[in-house]
Amino acid sequence: MNVMSARPRSAAPIRRPGLVVDGVLLLAVLAAIVLALTTDRFLTVANAKAILTSASLVGIAALGLTLITIGGSAVSLAISPSVAAVGMIFLSAQSLGLIPALVLAVACGTLITGLQGAVVGYAGANPVILTIAASFAITGIATGVSGGSTVSPTASGYDHLNATPGGVALSVYVLIALALIVEWTLRRTGFGRSLYLIGENRRAARAAGLPVGRTTAVAWVGAGALFAVTAAFTAAFNTSANVNLGGTLTFDAIAAVLAGGTAIAGGRGSALRTLAGAVLIAAASDILLLRGYSTGVQIMVKGVIVLVVVVTVHLRTRGSRA
Amino acid sequence: MRAGRPEASLPMAALVITVIAFVFVPTYTDSALTSFDVYNTFQILARLGLLTLALGLTMIAGEFDLSVVGTYAVGGMLTVQAGQQHWAWGLLAALGAGAAIGLLQGGLIARLKIPSMPVTLATYIALLGLTSAMSGGLTKTYSNATVTLWVDQSILTYFSPRSLITLGLFVVAAAVLSLSRWGRELRAIGGDRRAARVAGVRVDRLIVGTFVASGVLSALGGSLLSFSLGSANPDPGVQPLIVATAAALLGGVSLAGGRGHPLGLLAGILAVALLAEIVAVAAVPQYVSQLFFAGLLGIIVVIDAPDLHSALVRLRTRLRSSPHPRTSIQESADV
Repeated sequence: MNVMSARPRSAAPIRRPGLVVDGVLLLAVLAAIVLALTTDRFLTVANAKAILTSASLVGIAALGLTLITIGGSAVSLAISPSVAAVGMIFLSAQSLGLIPALVLAVACGTLITGLQGAVVGYAGANPVILTIAASFAITGIATGVSGGSTVSPTASGYDHLNATPGGVALSVYVLIALALIVEWTLRRTGFGRSLYLIGENRRAARAAGLPVGRTTAVAWVGAGALFAVTAAFTAAFNTSANVNLGGTLTFDAIAAVLAGGTAIAGGRGSALRTLAGAVLIAAASDILLLRGYSTGVQIMVKGVIVLVVVVTVHLRTRGSRA
Repeated sequence: MRAGRPEASLPMAALVITVIAFVFVPTYTDSALTSFDVYNTFQILARLGLLTLALGLTMIAGEFDLSVVGTYAVGGMLTVQAGQQHWAWGLLAALGAGAAIGLLQGGLIARLKIPSMPVTLATYIALLGLTSAMSGGLTKTYSNATVTLWVDQSILTYFSPRSLITLGLFVVAAAVLSLSRWGRELRAIGGDRRAARVAGVRVDRLIVGTFVASGVLSALGGSLLSFSLGSANPDPGVQPLIVATAAALLGGVSLAGGRGHPLGLLAGILAVALLAEIVAVAAVPQYVSQLFFAGLLGIIVVIDAPDLHSALVRLRTRLRSSPHPRTSIQESADV
């Protein structure tokens, strides 16, 4: 009896929210546009540059997280500590020169995150809990090695990363280039296609003979490299690094990925969507900042945006499947 | 049920080992144990116990409530800001907010069948923002010193009202889940939701109820902490979440859901509290204890990893049946 009565009740609201959601979404977008246009100094070139610059650091890390999420490993909660640790390594290696320091940073970044990816990929460990543990371990080791102090650069080569060719921060160009590369990798390579399938259905992917463990680990290695790029830029921007360098980056990157509409369950999403999500959140924060709201309100709105997009994406994908 | 990870023996083993380690503290450090160390262990339990219970209950139901730390922060902040006149208003505001947050999240997750991770993550971010907006990003002090003194006064040498409330709620949760059918139903929806639904469990209602309980417990945890500290911090960081997760997993809850009991959770957080006290008594640097908890959590998550287990099983069967695998199958088929 229960089964019979439960079926239609749970099936009926599936289609209708699709339309309602579209309507609500349209209204929200219109409201946001009106809000943006009526905000003083929003529509200036300087402000557009500011939005892009603030989106760039989060965006690069979020591209890395996109690889993790599409592959079905949900999220990494160890982004901030990884970025902090790699940032400290990057600055303390400045005496080797900029390029060797960058190479070292990327190597360390891929190692830190790749190790976690190997455990997730080969053993099927829960990525959320594993990365919580990893974040503790990375912070602990970084504190132990540095003695809890702040690392200062040993040479000034890092300053090249703060360049602004054509008046736009270098990190913005890097973000766009990396977004295109990641997008191409996801769409056009065998690795990308396997990653989508593994994210969509891990068991089916394994049955089809795909190297589930290896592909997952490679995705995390790529993510680690992208986190390292963010770390280098963040450390260069701050000109010093300690264990708090990552700040709220973990949640900012997750917010960008989810706000872009990538499903946390995996198998769907793209680098360009993440790029859009990062810019959306940066623009929202910018509007609130220009209107004089506090940091707290900005974070809160970020959370609400993520919640709304998560619910919307969920309802829409379910509607299209039904 | 898989062998090697029974939900009762892991918490018991963890508790026994940490109690032994605790009793023998004087043998490997310079300091002797005092009754204050026991009191302090229960104070650590009071600090993180309700978070563990909140997180553990949602994990038994097969969900994962990342927002507990956000609710914890909001509860603590509301307690201070609404309770300047009278402590009861602050407490009431905190509990009400916790219930509302749980209702919203549980409603979304149950009605729309969204995975709980992204929803509670978004709420977590929003709640941290809300707390920061409420306080202007600053730590707020609580002026009612009477309450602060009351919650931490020692009772029967080892306890305080704060730790007794926490222990009492564990006992209540254990009694409710053992004596009513909710305990069985909670494990059922965590283990196999579709089967539970077919068997007549009101899944949606139970999920909403679990998230409301989780919200109220986390908010109360934040309240008690604010009373005790005489202040509220807008950003508790991720450490409470990490420690509560470790405690819940040690308490016999599985990441896959469907396993666990409040008494196991109590044993888990007690073990963690004892460890934290040992670390404090032994005066180990904080990063070492951080590494220790990371290692603990890492080991648990790897043991719990499904593919590792199946890979080991495969390896074991291959080793056992290595001489004539073909013929043995043939024989059993013939019989």
